[in-house]
Amino acid sequence: MSAGVQRGEARTRLGRWWQDWRFHLSALAVLVPLAALPRYYSDISLFTGDAGLGSGEAKHVQVGPFDLQIAEFWLTAPIDMGVAGARKQFSVSLCQGCEHRIRAIHARFGKPRSLRAAGALFSGSHVRQTADLQVPPSVDSSDNLWLTVEEWDGTVHHGDIAVDQVSPATAAWLARKEKQQ
Amino acid sequence: MARLWLLLHGWLALPVWAYVFFICVTGTIATVSHEIVWLFDPSVRASQPAGIEERMGADALIAKVMEQRPGSEMQWVSWPVETHFAPTVFVSEPSGRGVGLYVNPYDGHVQGEAASVGFSTFMRALHGWLFLPWTTGYSWGWYAVAFMGIPMLGSVITGILVYKKFWRAYFKPRLRIGKGARLFWGDFHRLAGIWSIPFIIIIAVSAIWFFVEAILSDTGVTVSTAGIPTVLERESIPVVSQSDDLPPVSLDGMIATAQTAHSGLRTDSIFMPGNAFDPVQIFGRGSYPLVFESATIDPYSGEVVKLRRVSDYSVVELVTNSMRPLHTGDFMGLWLKVIYFSFGLLLSMMVLSGMLIWTKRTVRETRDILREGRAGRLEPAE
Repeated sequence: MSAGVQRGEARTRLGRWWQDWRFHLSALAVLVPLAALPRYYSDISLFTGDAGLGSGEAKHVQVGPFDLQIAEFWLTAPIDMGVAGARKQFSVSLCQGCEHRIRAIHARFGKPRSLRAAGALFSGSHVRQTADLQVPPSVDSSDNLWLTVEEWDGTVHHGDIAVDQVSPATAAWLARKEKQQ
Repeated sequence: MARLWLLLHGWLALPVWAYVFFICVTGTIATVSHEIVWLFDPSVRASQPAGIEERMGADALIAKVMEQRPGSEMQWVSWPVETHFAPTVFVSEPSGRGVGLYVNPYDGHVQGEAASVGFSTFMRALHGWLFLPWTTGYSWGWYAVAFMGIPMLGSVITGILVYKKFWRAYFKPRLRIGKGARLFWGDFHRLAGIWSIPFIIIIAVSAIWFFVEAILSDTGVTVSTAGIPTVLERESIPVVSQSDDLPPVSLDGMIATAQTAHSGLRTDSIFMPGNAFDPVQIFGRGSYPLVFESATIDPYSGEVVKLRRVSDYSVVELVTNSMRPLHTGDFMGLWLKVIYFSFGLLLSMMVLSGMLIWTKRTVRETRDILREGRAGRLEPAE
């Protein structure tokens, strides 16, 4: 008799089948990437911008003289990222020609008290920049999403949009959170 | 004792052999995926046009690309270490789409666009994380693949323990052909195994590190000494009426400044600022080729605000940062990739041959058991 993993001594047809085939069943793991492939491609087209500004419908926000468009990156409620808090990503695109005047765009939930507290800074090209925002525990469903635009000459503008306009899932998440409190 | 090791050796890989085989084959293809693309897609080649001797500088190259892609914004450029590959200039188009452009390094001609999921990206994602999404940290696929480093390392160790005086096989290799499949695959498994010991250990240990790395990252632990990303001081940013009034940015100038600050710095890629407070970053393979060095540059003043040289890495970081290139074999050029590919094939064949040895033995045992069983039934009742 040889050493190593034994075949077993099953004598029924089913038992023998199991003993002969059990070790080949891991080939079924190949089904995992197959099943994940459509989502992989849809995510990639979101990252490259082929799928548009974000997953959500892009909304106009007037910030001072500038007409910006904003979209939520994922259609989901804020994601709990542990020490980093509940996070939500947005993308914006600038109005045509505005890129020469706009130095920076910030966003936060709730009205900013100063430029220092303007929130997350958008990063990327002028046609598509993204920012990863924390949703502070103090935010409630009456708070809007506020955008702050800094111009190259130092002028600052604010503009806002209702959360349920730009991210219904986040609005529902905030409402649910309030009810629990 | 050897029996126990052999039993363990079998149980470590057999139940998941097909899954491990799949990982090995995709990983093997991934090591040479760029070369495969090079063979089939002329637009990724750095072909030298007749009459042009010199490669273009960074500024001239980008200017030429922008001429061909008006309205686009350059985000990063990379010059592959293997100079027979064309540089990639990644631009954001007016439509909002980001795309990599393969550019001829001699005349700046845009030779083609990189697919958003090219062959090498596809193979890497398939091998590395089974296409599973990265939503809240590391992909589950990453964990599922990297975990297999543990049974792989276990297989090498138990394999060595089973094989008494394995070093003798280095001097007297044995591969019996024509004496039946069982003997051939047994010899092959042992021979390929002992010659691949260092390779398998490299692959397994780096994979285990990828597993640990994911756990560390997902629990918010870091071994990095890189510090937080550089954000330029508000005061250092010029106040102008429009961005057009800013002083022009010269990539060649920044490369020169970076090299003055750190004479050994290579320029393999340049990342442009993502916003007004963001610096320019130059990355290059270090003198110790397994880690990258970088220079962070203030685009307004042109000064280097941060350097990260090989000497700035901690020992732990030098080891952990080496894991990825060690796993992929992409740090010494084509010849090493070919070696990795060959050992990858051997390793894939070892998984397959291990299973074959078991089935061949199984066939024999099955016959014995069936015979016994039949004999049992034929025995007269007492």
